[in-house]
Amino acid sequence: MADEQKPEGSQQPPPAAKPAAPKPAAPAPKPPATMAATPWTSEMARDLKERFGERVKETSTYLGQNFIVTTPDGAIPVLEYLKLEADFDYLVDITAVDWPKRADRFDLVWVVYSFARNERVRIKTCIFDGFKPPTAVGAHLTANWLEREVFDMFGIEFDGHPDMRRILMPDEWSGHPLRKDYSILQQDQRWVQENLGIESGQ
Amino acid sequence: MVKLLRKIFLVDLFTGLMVTFRNQRPKYIYTEQYPGERPKVAERYRGAPRLNINPENGETLCISCNLCALACPEGLIVVTSERNEQTKRKDLTTFTYDTSRCMFCGLCEDACPVDALELTQDFELATYTREGQIWDRQMLEEGPRPTPYKC
Amino acid sequence: MPDSTFLDSTELVLNMGPQHPSTHGVLRVILKLDGEKVMGTSCVIGYLHRGVEKIAENRTWAQFNPYVDRMDYVAAVSNGLGYCLAVEKLLGVEAPPRAQAVRVILTELNRIASHLVWLGTHALDIGAITPVFYCFREREEALNIFEKYCGARLTTHAFRIGGLLYETYDGFEREVKAFCKMFPPKVDEYEELLTNNRIWAGRLKNVGVLTADECKEYGVTGPVLRAAGVKWDLRKAQPYSGYEKYDFEIPTRENGDTYDRYIVRMREMRQAVRIIEQAVEGMPEGPIMGKVPKVIKPPVGEAYVSIEAPKGELGYYVVSDGSVQPYRVRVRPPSFVNLQALDRMVRGGLVADVVAVIGTLDIVLGEVDR
Ligand code: SF4
Ligand code: SF4
Repeated sequence: MADEQKPEGSQQPPPAAKPAAPKPAAPAPKPPATMAATPWTSEMARDLKERFGERVKETSTYLGQNFIVTTPDGAIPVLEYLKLEADFDYLVDITAVDWPKRADRFDLVWVVYSFARNERVRIKTCIFDGFKPPTAVGAHLTANWLEREVFDMFGIEFDGHPDMRRILMPDEWSGHPLRKDYSILQQDQRWVQENLGIESGQ
Repeated sequence: MVKLLRKIFLVDLFTGLMVTFRNQRPKYIYTEQYPGERPKVAERYRGAPRLNINPENGETLCISCNLCALACPEGLIVVTSERNEQTKRKDLTTFTYDTSRCMFCGLCEDACPVDALELTQDFELATYTREGQIWDRQMLEEGPRPTPYKC
Repeated sequence: MPDSTFLDSTELVLNMGPQHPSTHGVLRVILKLDGEKVMGTSCVIGYLHRGVEKIAENRTWAQFNPYVDRMDYVAAVSNGLGYCLAVEKLLGVEAPPRAQAVRVILTELNRIASHLVWLGTHALDIGAITPVFYCFREREEALNIFEKYCGARLTTHAFRIGGLLYETYDGFEREVKAFCKMFPPKVDEYEELLTNNRIWAGRLKNVGVLTADECKEYGVTGPVLRAAGVKWDLRKAQPYSGYEKYDFEIPTRENGDTYDRYIVRMREMRQAVRIIEQAVEGMPEGPIMGKVPKVIKPPVGEAYVSIEAPKGELGYYVVSDGSVQPYRVRVRPPSFVNLQALDRMVRGGLVADVVAVIGTLDIVLGEVDR
């Protein structure tokens, strides 16, 4: 159980990288080891491809879990389509993953579930820092707090969100803690000193 | 009609009171009179740490391999050692364990290859100072001395 | 002569919490009131934010395991199970059958313990003092089993990635069986105290109604969803850890009010006992640890794994970049999502109902804020 802090570059090659569709569609300078995902072919995947054309970039499966990669503007239409036409009426989660080395810095992930089909699908899209993805509140009310959390933690602002405020961190906090360039010991010194009356929170 | 009668005779109230009175039996008393009566904790209980010593010669069992310090998620164990020129082995010099940050998860105990570090059944860890929470090698080997209470 | 504000029926803004006994932790609810009527609410959360997801990125996969217990601390075993299953999915290993059976037993015991805390505190909020003592007494029995099994009562760290670290102790089966025998009569006792109690029913019936459609819209899961009539439980829908082997029912009710949620949870405790009985009866022999390398290094990839925690769907979205540390661990906390529906449930009700609804949502602020 070594606790060495491994920098980004020193990864091992994936043990069994099948010659399948590579995950990061963005033109990253040196793509890191890729996820060994296999294409997902089903009626729904074909349907999506037909209906959304270019906007659905990829439909794949990894470890038996299906996901759809879309362009940034395609995610919400896909989400709406899945809700209205395919019974995916339960938005489980919205989250993001930060890849600071990539040009399109964030992976934005929606997880939806269908009670009728008992099926779970992830929708993924890559966005650059500063891009304002459209909100999903129109389709699912759950998205309200979930998007606020993504904004709080990553600084991704959702366009059209009714109440884009921080949710877990204090409102005046500066910085977005789950970005990779935010160190675990980092804090908003000014906020801590002003509001807590102590030198440092450490 | 039945409903009305139930209402008049307060049936639901009495069923509730029945339960209450049933539980008044001294047999059901559950409260422990701590600290007069100390609970017996389980054998696997993860409490105060202890650094075991060899009962025969009083030497520490620890081989200063540092595995516990690496396994700890909080990084609160610090092991320093000195290389012994004669035996070519590492001798333990200091061992500090900051119980104030410990969450008693037991990962350090699992990592220890010689069972030198152990989490014992001792659960009384309160002290008056923050510094008192940082245990040095002597305290780890001999154990803390809690104030005995008389009741 | 009263001044004009006296007759003025403007709204009153009332601050409830963060230090309020009936908000079950450090939850602050800002209530907009018109007399006794709630016109709107807004929740302020984050007081207990510890950055669990950030901590994950700075620990190894195994080291993060004890931290998940500290999210939903009344159901720590469920949290641990979800995390272990997620990492096992990434690694492509499965816990051996014996480990799975022990996991099921402990998780169900934990479900009972969690529901008992809920019942006790909820009843306390409504004004019934007695149940809390009884509930905590029975919970003690479950916690004693945890303590004997893994050495801790609350933040158990009971499971390891790939299986279990501890073999069951001598008398584990006997004690679990004794618990199963002891417990159902106790549930009868709680029901005697509460189910037909007129005050209890009067305070809970038709309070905080959430219909099935609203539940889906708000992403509300767990007993709240089942009380609205949706027969959905992840243990049945997408079984994990061998739940497909056990025979149990999913209790549901139609109205989706606070009283129905109470009934659903009471029945769930009985079903949990049923599962434990079956699991302990047919406990297979064999190893308790799967084939997991000493240094856990999942291949590059991602997975979303969720389990039915006592409070609803608890999901873990884990991303690995092939190193010893998680690249990202996202927790989908049921309490956080369920709490969002609070506004819908209390709007138009009375102030006293807010207390009942917060209780019935069964939130744990450690999980809401993480
Ligand atoms: S019990 Fe856990 S937190 Fe405490 S020292 Fe050991 S590994 Fe570290
Ligand atoms: S793991 Fe055991 S032997 Fe190694 S340094 Fe720690 S206490 Fe000593």
